Amino acid sequence: MDARVDITDVYAFAAQEEDDEEEFSRTALVLNVNPLTLASAFDPDAIYEVLVDTDADATPDITFKTRFSTVGSNGRQRATVVRAVGADANSRDFSGKVIIKNAPVSFGREERIAERKDFKFFAGVRSDPFFFDLLGFLAGFKFTGSDFFADKNVFGTVLEVPNSALGTNPDIGVWSRVLIPAKDLETPGNGELVQIDRMGRPAINTVFNHGADKVTFNTIEPSGDRTTVTTTGKTFLANFEDVLGSFGYDAGSAENIAKILLPDILTFNFNSNAGFLNGRKLTDDVIDIELNLVTKGAVTTDGVGPHTDLLDEFPYLGRPHGIGEKDEQD
Amino acid sequence: MAAGVFLPGGVLTSGRVLQTSKNKLKFRAVGGLPQGAFPSYASYVVEGTIDLKTHSGVATKNVFAGPPEAMSTIALPGLSRTIRITEVEDSGSVLRVKGVVDDRSQLRQGESPLVDITIDSGRDMASSSFLNSEVSLKLE
Repeated sequence: MDARVDITDVYAFAAQEEDDEEEFSRTALVLNVNPLTLASAFDPDAIYEVLVDTDADATPDITFKTRFSTVGSNGRQRATVVRAVGADANSRDFSGKVIIKNAPVSFGREERIAERKDFKFFAGVRSDPFFFDLLGFLAGFKFTGSDFFADKNVFGTVLEVPNSALGTNPDIGVWSRVLIPAKDLETPGNGELVQIDRMGRPAINTVFNHGADKVTFNTIEPSGDRTTVTTTGKTFLANFEDVLGSFGYDAGSAENIAKILLPDILTFNFNSNAGFLNGRKLTDDVIDIELNLVTKGAVTTDGVGPHTDLLDEFPYLGRPHGIGEKDEQD
Repeated sequence: MAAGVFLPGGVLTSGRVLQTSKNKLKFRAVGGLPQGAFPSYASYVVEGTIDLKTHSGVATKNVFAGPPEAMSTIALPGLSRTIRITEVEDSGSVLRVKGVVDDRSQLRQGESPLVDITIDSGRDMASSSFLNSEVSLKLE
């Protein structure tokens, strides 16, 4: 997959003001792409979306869509964000009301933040907040104590919104997706936009789906997560139950857990900052929680913890590694 | 003659291991990581060329993002090794290859520079270690 449109993680958390710790009036929505920063810019042909389900039917009711300009001869790229509601929320186009216009993309160390009315927006290269002993996982749970992502960067988009922009029901579902023109697929299609990647909770597709089913999972909508048939001839839900069963869960428990994990949506009550499974904060040890859950307690931790380079204030994501660090020291 | 057998003098017949000249063999083996219950997240690729006469050669190990059936060209950083082959033991259809990573900067702290690779052309399989775990690979 083109790294520009390859989602690494999505986060949703209460954006608390320091002097207002009991109030939860704003939410930060973070969508990170471009693992290992293999690409040098966002894809100007793509639409990067954070979708919000306000009535628990696994379809979007409010969608924040971001589109980027081409990179100019001056090396600059700009972003525009719209908020779409109703039918536009799932329209697979850039319809919606503009909330951020021509925001600069930060390719350097310092964050360039755009603000308009009650919205704040950032896009650019950042330290990857994800933490995981990937090598230990690849070695078959022989954890090394080393966080593979500690020195890695990603491209982040951070949108901070007033909770009123998320609807009136505080119990929402959040996920992300990236749409690209079908002509850009390996097997080109027509001019329509197609979903190339999506993510709700972390690592769900990674942990549960094999081979071609991973690709399928990326292209379907959460409303089809339980019923879509996979290459095994079973549904994704049944496959998830099989994986859970292989770790010792009885059939009833496996079904119950699989139904929590599917549809793959980050459930979030925006009046709480409890953290994963309520939304996802940048410091939540989601891998420990998921490993513990999936393996029925056989694996409880990968032994690594949150990054220390996060910012206390918007855009929250830490400054990028290896970019302008010398200038900062000087 | 059974397929995939190393004969005295280094003659090998297998569709999965190429004999590029009288004494030189080329191999490539791929396996998914992690192995076991979870789906593969990455692909472990061990490949190289072996001179059966001089018992020398060069091999590489890389880990690419994506499972073997959808492997990308993105090598995960810090996991590539270049191995100088120092010893080759030929027993029927199985080659046992030993080597060393001369460039110690490629190694993680505590990682041994010594590398073992087993190539079983009779079963179209190979194996080598990844972070002290033995990984089964399929010869391509």
